Amino acid sequence: MSISEMQKMINGHARIAEELEICRKYGIDYYSQRGKWTRAVEKYHPRRLELRVSEKFAENADTTTLRLVSTNGYLPPFRAGQYINLFVEIEGICTSRPYSISSSPTQTAYYDLTVRRIPDGFVSDYLLDKVNAGDVLTSTGPAGHFYYSSIYQGNELVFLAGGSGITPLMSMIREVTDRNLDRNIHLIYGVRKPQEAIFHEELLKRSQRHSNFIYDLAVSEPEAGYEGITGYIGADLIKQQMGDVTGKTFFICGPREMYSFCIPELEKMGVPGRRIRRELFGTPTEVTKEPAWPQEVKADAEFTVKLARGQVIKARASEPLLIALERTGIVVENCCRSGECSLCRVKLQSGKVFQPSGALVRKSDQESGYVHSCVAYPLTDLEILL
Amino acid sequence: MDYDVVVIGAGNGGLTAACSLAQRGVKTLLLERHNVPGGCATSFCRGRFEFEVALHQLSGLGSDEKPGPLRHTLSKLGVVDQLEWVEMDNLYRLLVSDDLDITLKADRVAAIQTLQERFPAEKDNIAAYFDLVYQFCVELITIYSSRDQEATPEKYPAYFEYALMDTQKVLDKFFSDPLLKMAVSIYWGYTGLPPTKQPFSDMAMLLFSYLELKPYHLKGGSQALSAAILEKFLESGGEVRFNCGAGKILVEDGRVTGVVTEHGETITTSYIVSNASTISVYTEMIEPEHVPAEQLQRLGGSTVGPSSVTLYIGLDCEPQEVGINETTNFLCTSIDMEDAFAACWEIESHDDYTLVSCYNISDPDISPPGTSQVCIVDLKYGEPWLTIPPHQYFELKDKVASQILDRVEHYFPGFREHIEEIEVATPITHMRFLGTPGGAIYGFDQYAKDNNMFTPPRSVIKGLYFAGAWAGMGGFQPTLTSGTTAARQVLKDIKRQAGVKI
Repeated sequence: MSISEMQKMINGHARIAEELEICRKYGIDYYSQRGKWTRAVEKYHPRRLELRVSEKFAENADTTTLRLVSTNGYLPPFRAGQYINLFVEIEGICTSRPYSISSSPTQTAYYDLTVRRIPDGFVSDYLLDKVNAGDVLTSTGPAGHFYYSSIYQGNELVFLAGGSGITPLMSMIREVTDRNLDRNIHLIYGVRKPQEAIFHEELLKRSQRHSNFIYDLAVSEPEAGYEGITGYIGADLIKQQMGDVTGKTFFICGPREMYSFCIPELEKMGVPGRRIRRELFGTPTEVTKEPAWPQEVKADAEFTVKLARGQVIKARASEPLLIALERTGIVVENCCRSGECSLCRVKLQSGKVFQPSGALVRKSDQESGYVHSCVAYPLTDLEILL
Repeated sequence: MDYDVVVIGAGNGGLTAACSLAQRGVKTLLLERHNVPGGCATSFCRGRFEFEVALHQLSGLGSDEKPGPLRHTLSKLGVVDQLEWVEMDNLYRLLVSDDLDITLKADRVAAIQTLQERFPAEKDNIAAYFDLVYQFCVELITIYSSRDQEATPEKYPAYFEYALMDTQKVLDKFFSDPLLKMAVSIYWGYTGLPPTKQPFSDMAMLLFSYLELKPYHLKGGSQALSAAILEKFLESGGEVRFNCGAGKILVEDGRVTGVVTEHGETITTSYIVSNASTISVYTEMIEPEHVPAEQLQRLGGSTVGPSSVTLYIGLDCEPQEVGINETTNFLCTSIDMEDAFAACWEIESHDDYTLVSCYNISDPDISPPGTSQVCIVDLKYGEPWLTIPPHQYFELKDKVASQILDRVEHYFPGFREHIEEIEVATPITHMRFLGTPGGAIYGFDQYAKDNNMFTPPRSVIKGLYFAGAWAGMGGFQPTLTSGTTAARQVLKDIKRQAGVKI
């Protein structure tokens, strides 16, 4: 007796076989529904967005906002604080940079990206000097975890911003004030000189109009006679501006140095780790100055990287592997370029790389030799699997 | 042919299929659209936590001394010894409002005793029910493992009587207290259908397997398992391409001829094992003229199973500080399991049952000292989530997560105050990362009619095979096993084609 003959003797077999026939006869036409789920996901997480620069306006001497609209009329929703990774092709090299959306998430007619010129900034120079209204760019969908969560972060928020780190916080401030949300925000914005502050006028106006938003500008290199708040954002300045910090949730965004200074200061004040949120670390400006960098490897050292199928490329010690790959036209999917999102993960088959602090590499990845190529700096010749 | 076999997707089923084939000398290519293997058997980092995505309680493994079927499967692949397995002492703690708080040991005698102490009026029926579960499972295993040609209702009375009966009928036959019925059947959440809709064989095997072979976790989480299987695959000469999803499956004259990758490259092969869903394969990956109407009709007889809202949480305290003392906890506000199932079709979380897994109880290394990792799951169907206007999505997502946390807070006071990291995954999130219809986590709904007995994963198209949840049941043990089963079928056909006598 075959198994299927045997199974026919099970109590209820004939009834279920009949049920199945009926279900199939009047069943779901999956063919007519094809693509339904993919389209649902693309509303939130499109692989790429095509964006047109609708306007470009100066915020201050070295900062400009690019207002981006969708070429097809639809932009996904985002959480205030999130970024998009903007792809550009400059001098034949395809690369990308993540930029926080500075506009409010209360509307998705456009995303504003506020870009500050950084010295020798390959991409920022291009965006500020070469890109004009009407130009079309591509990006990822909105991403990132630096956003407010009503689930556990409470209503008392302190924002600590440094330089262009104001951009994601600006989106949060605009959202809370535009929608009159029941949240109190105290912003301390640190700049070297007052004229470097981005959105200064708007921040002032919003703080005057909304009692739940306090704005302090802290200047670290004031000119003689400057009457505002001065100094770096540390425990003393925070205490002086807001007194008790119990129950407050801190959001910090600024250069890497700011995190390594501010976070210990907050811990010193007794702020628990769960109440400190920080934005992406970014990449070190000079990786060879990182504390754990092996001194025997010089910044200009050049190594070879062997890829599958025999291809060999050159890579400099001072530059992330991802950029070395991009220079030779090899496309590796990436998004945060700060070692967190893991999209640019590659497998190291031989050789050694330097990974600065802050890269979130999983235990299993460490064990099987995976690295995040956006923050992996070659220390020897390498062999990688893409 | 470029390859003997192309395996689409490196989830559990794809990995074990690819590895088994490569180990038997079959030239195999594994395609994976993501950059690491595992599918949902993976992990991700937030802050100082590395979150386990999918594995809660591994079934069917057993110990060295008392190996289960999954240990055999994984041993053959050579991955058992290099992994560190963590046995759990208990099945679960079940909390039902203020009416029930019971913890069952992963041990037949102890579990029966605990139930009898709590439900003394039904003492004898409890023992009788467990006797039935055991008799049923032993009969089932005997029939299928010995391929008993003479299996009859007289020889295997429990199997023939109960195999296709729904769990509820059996519960009603043995018990009267609805709390007791819940206490022995709360694992229905692991297969997706409530007792009224779930075949008894699924319930019985789940309970039997956990009682006899214990639930397991492993150090490094499910990603350690995925990585280990991939390593064995590569060692055996298998080839893998990451960041390379399959776009199209090529078919000529009813036979598979190749795959076109998402990057447009054509790879020729005579066999495909798809870890991608049958729905995607038949409606999107194969040109419609090559998909027989019969195949689509078969597909239409099954419904897409549940997805979930999952909360991945890092606490800045030890689990005991908020009253979590068990790895696996089911929190229920209502005693009506039908209502709880109906709630899976709603977006918001009101009558849902909530699974709270805290791995630290059995594996303290799962998160940094002084912290804990908690994974909270409410089953939710994907369909209603399509109706949400995009601009309301985030608010709704937070609202649902908050509702679930309110429930957790009720049973574990102080929980919310200790949250350091939280990532919320909705059915939309699961659709995004798993690529499954409806973000389904177990494949199709598993009614009796969807059992392999009635719906074998066989394809009308020659050379096309399936592994993973869509080829049978969901969950780790079934999907890992489905891959080796598919590999065996492919090998058999390769040999048949070559005229080799098997």
